[in-house]
Amino acid sequence: MTMARVGKPAPDFEASAYIVGEGFKNVKLSDYRGQWVVLCFYPGDFTFV
Amino acid sequence: MYPKLKELGVEVLSMSTDSRFTHKIWNETELSKMVEGGIPYPMLSDQGGRIGTVYGVYDEAAGVDIRGRFIIDPDGVLQAMEVLTPTVGRNPNELLRQVQAYQHVRSTGGAEVTPSGWTPGETTLKVGPDLVGRVWEVWKP
Repeated sequence: MTMARVGKPAPDFEASAYIVGEGFKNVKLSDYRGQWVVLCFYPGDFTFV
Repeated sequence: MYPKLKELGVEVLSMSTDSRFTHKIWNETELSKMVEGGIPYPMLSDQGGRIGTVYGVYDEAAGVDIRGRFIIDPDGVLQAMEVLTPTVGRNPNELLRQVQAYQHVRSTGGAEVTPSGWTPGETTLKVGPDLVGRVWEVWKP
């Protein structure tokens, strides 16, 4: 398994997603090739920060 | 912050170990009261932490992805990462600054780089042998 490292290709993934107005769909990081992407992880929905 | 990022052509993806169903309800019941219309970007689910593990942010003991922020360029190359423990939130202004700096460097094909604390309009450094030992002439912190 290749770990994420700066200066290297970001590991691709596919994940199920909720998109307002669109509903549920699967999203792949590689779908966004050609665009800048900011990927933000956070600990959990309904938490405080 | 999202409209500013959108102007810069940046797509935002958020990710947690919650299910997409939880994302939907959170957006409808709470976030839509903070942001008109709710969160406009895709909210991704990383149940099991498989993706967070690869990105080095999955906390197995807690079963959650901790706060990690990654900037990925149009070639799919990871340019920047910032990882925080859960108790402190991120600074969106610093994210914006880094995106602007990476976009500037990319627009010059890497001929210019940005010094510490650079913001748009400030002096950049032109990479080359002439600059060696002479950074002090063009840039003072």
